[in-house]
Amino acid sequence: MSDLDRYIELLRSCKPIPEASVRELCHKARELLIEESNVQIVDAPVTICGDIHGQFHDLMELFRVGGDVPDTNYLFMGDFVDRGFYSLESFLLLLSLKVRYPDRITLIRGNHESRQITTVYGFYDECMRKYGSASVWRHCCEVFDYLALGALVIGAGPSVGSGEEECELEVVQTNGDITRYRRGHGGHLGGPPGTGASGFSGGSSQSAGAVLCVHGGLSPVIATVDSIRLLDRKQEVPHEGAMCDLLWSDPDDIDGWGLSPRGAGFLFGSDIVKHFNYANNLSLIARAHQLVMEGFKEMFDSSIVTVWSAPNYCYRCGNVAAILELNEENGAILRSSGERGGGVTGGIGGGGMTVRAGPGRRYRVYEAAPQDSRGMPAKKPVADYFLLQ
Amino acid sequence: MSDLHKEFLKAKLRRLPLEPPMPPTNQLSELSILSEEMEEEAEDGGTNHGRPPPSPLTDDSSSASSASSTGTIKPLFARPPQPRKKPTFDPIPWQTHFSQELRLTSPDSPNATFHAYFTPPLASPTNPGPLFIFHHGAGSSGLSFALLATSIRRLLPSAGVLSPDCRGHGETVTSDDSDLSLSTLSADLLAMIHLTAQHCGWTKFPEIVLVGHSLGGAVVVDLAASGKLGAALLGYAVLDVVEGSAIDALQSMHTYLSSRPSGFASLSQGIEWHTRSRTLRNPTSARISVPALLTRQADAAEGDSRAWRWRTDLASTQPFWEGWFVGLSRKFLSAVGGKLLILAGTDRLDKELMIGQMQGKYQLLVLPEVGHFVHEDAPEKTAAALVEFYRRNVRSALVLPPKVGDMYRPAAGMHYTSI
Repeated sequence: MSDLDRYIELLRSCKPIPEASVRELCHKARELLIEESNVQIVDAPVTICGDIHGQFHDLMELFRVGGDVPDTNYLFMGDFVDRGFYSLESFLLLLSLKVRYPDRITLIRGNHESRQITTVYGFYDECMRKYGSASVWRHCCEVFDYLALGALVIGAGPSVGSGEEECELEVVQTNGDITRYRRGHGGHLGGPPGTGASGFSGGSSQSAGAVLCVHGGLSPVIATVDSIRLLDRKQEVPHEGAMCDLLWSDPDDIDGWGLSPRGAGFLFGSDIVKHFNYANNLSLIARAHQLVMEGFKEMFDSSIVTVWSAPNYCYRCGNVAAILELNEENGAILRSSGERGGGVTGGIGGGGMTVRAGPGRRYRVYEAAPQDSRGMPAKKPVADYFLLQ
Repeated sequence: MSDLHKEFLKAKLRRLPLEPPMPPTNQLSELSILSEEMEEEAEDGGTNHGRPPPSPLTDDSSSASSASSTGTIKPLFARPPQPRKKPTFDPIPWQTHFSQELRLTSPDSPNATFHAYFTPPLASPTNPGPLFIFHHGAGSSGLSFALLATSIRRLLPSAGVLSPDCRGHGETVTSDDSDLSLSTLSADLLAMIHLTAQHCGWTKFPEIVLVGHSLGGAVVVDLAASGKLGAALLGYAVLDVVEGSAIDALQSMHTYLSSRPSGFASLSQGIEWHTRSRTLRNPTSARISVPALLTRQADAAEGDSRAWRWRTDLASTQPFWEGWFVGLSRKFLSAVGGKLLILAGTDRLDKELMIGQMQGKYQLLVLPEVGHFVHEDAPEKTAAALVEFYRRNVRSALVLPPKVGDMYRPAAGMHYTSI
């Protein structure tokens, strides 16, 4: 068994690996990541995941629900660390999987993959606690600077499932309940899927446009996916500018651009998303960054979706989590079997310049790993003082 | 310079030879010490109106070395090893940090006199300054914000600051000083803002940023949520109070209150206690803010070790404690305006604020290595955050940078919204 496989095994059991191994792993990861473009191209099928935030046992739950690496092709949209108790193990596991199976897992940067943020929200303290020095934290931060800023999923098919079960949108709940939405058949979920389809998928191909994955969202200085490629990403996340916005911005029900209450990035409205998707031949933007109690949320006629993968966030928020599976074109998704379907089921709604036909989307919703599966350290609430002292 | 760093340097100095390396430096260092003492005398006498206020940069430097900005060059490196000068605990007057004090009386309640420290904003018709309105916490006073006020005005000279003493605190006197309910405090603050506007003859409010510390955070959030300041309110900032942890902490309040001294022989002793107990980690700020917390007993004999007692009897305010904080997180998230939460040391959000933060509803800033009195311990950093917060939230300020590339132009119909 190679060293790498041994690390993976250790990390899978939530045990930290020696400092020298971290250094070695981070070095290999950097060599790999430096070759990646700012916007990595990823072929469907792929399973897209949102924030993890050091919730190691919930990451294991994610793999249980979504399939293991390398069987499933994964794309993680950042925020691996901070707030949870096992940022180190979670990040290093993902990183070692990346080094072991570079083509089966894509990691992009979130706003928490930054020196400044991790010193405040837990990752730095965790490294200090577990290793007694900041060197592991420093190695990890160097890797952060090399993470891609986004990914472009190409070749996603217009439907998930097959045969009778074929549909544009499928939601698999924790209890196994499945809800399906066919194109043009209404339904809801942050906007009827029917309106997401339009005559734009013209031509003989039924291929949907590409799916842009980014941690936060759009930037007023970024008009094209190509202009993201021009950024110099190998640096600490700046306080403003395109790179900052991609990692910090949020969609909101406004027109145009707005001020972000977060103090960094911008808010952007539906018109911005639709213009951007149209101009860049995108069918969907997938992003993370915002906690959604239902695990995922589609907005603006399904032109953008928020995916959140940290169930019961910070062990107290009471939310469920979700991952998004995209099928390959004319292919059965992942572990689904049976006949392959093709084409949309008609009843195309919507008109004018809306968005391209969205890809088929399957959301798998899941809850936090059961309490007994996690050795949660006792975290005393710091309820010290408030008036004086 | 952190304490640790100072200890380290001192230890290093001790190991150096006693002889200074170069003869002339001896004279220089004597000079610098002399000038320092003179400055401090001037400060203590309150005769420093003519010169710039002392540097509030004291959150990370010693009180002895940085209490002035008179431009004396101090060759610190040349100082021969010698015992550190005894730190001073003498009070510093408010005039160092505010241009005026207001005593406001409302026709509705002629028996009440509200006292506030005030520096008006720049009243330029083209570029009027904003007004930062502070509200201190329970048992504190308007002077708690003295260093912060100066730091803000240094970064944003057009800004005004209004720092009232709330009911039952400082020099504010009302007919019922024991009514510290949230609704009363919130109404008092609004009344003070209106009275200040009258006093200044403003036809309309300047742009307002509310800043509340601890209990004061609950008061400013309550006022913001009432919507009574209308469009003048740009945003509100809350310093180191979170509903969940505040309510948890209430249980230990009595223990805390009974553990502190019930009185002091002198103001200096009170200042010293606040500094030594690390209640206030910034000695300069303690010298300004502590005197307002203590009042001399009328019948105190000469040499009475408890001649100076607490201005506010906090234990008696217990009936109001829960009411201050219940619903704080909800109101903080739902009120209209920019939202900033500054916490000391660690991030300890309750569930509501955690969800709100991860949905991007407000700005959170955690300042390391400061105590509960964030704005006193780190006035510069707090001021920088507040000024940045103001700049972001000015309605006219959302100017978008030019685009990289030219794939689509914002059409005429596209407008920019700021929240």
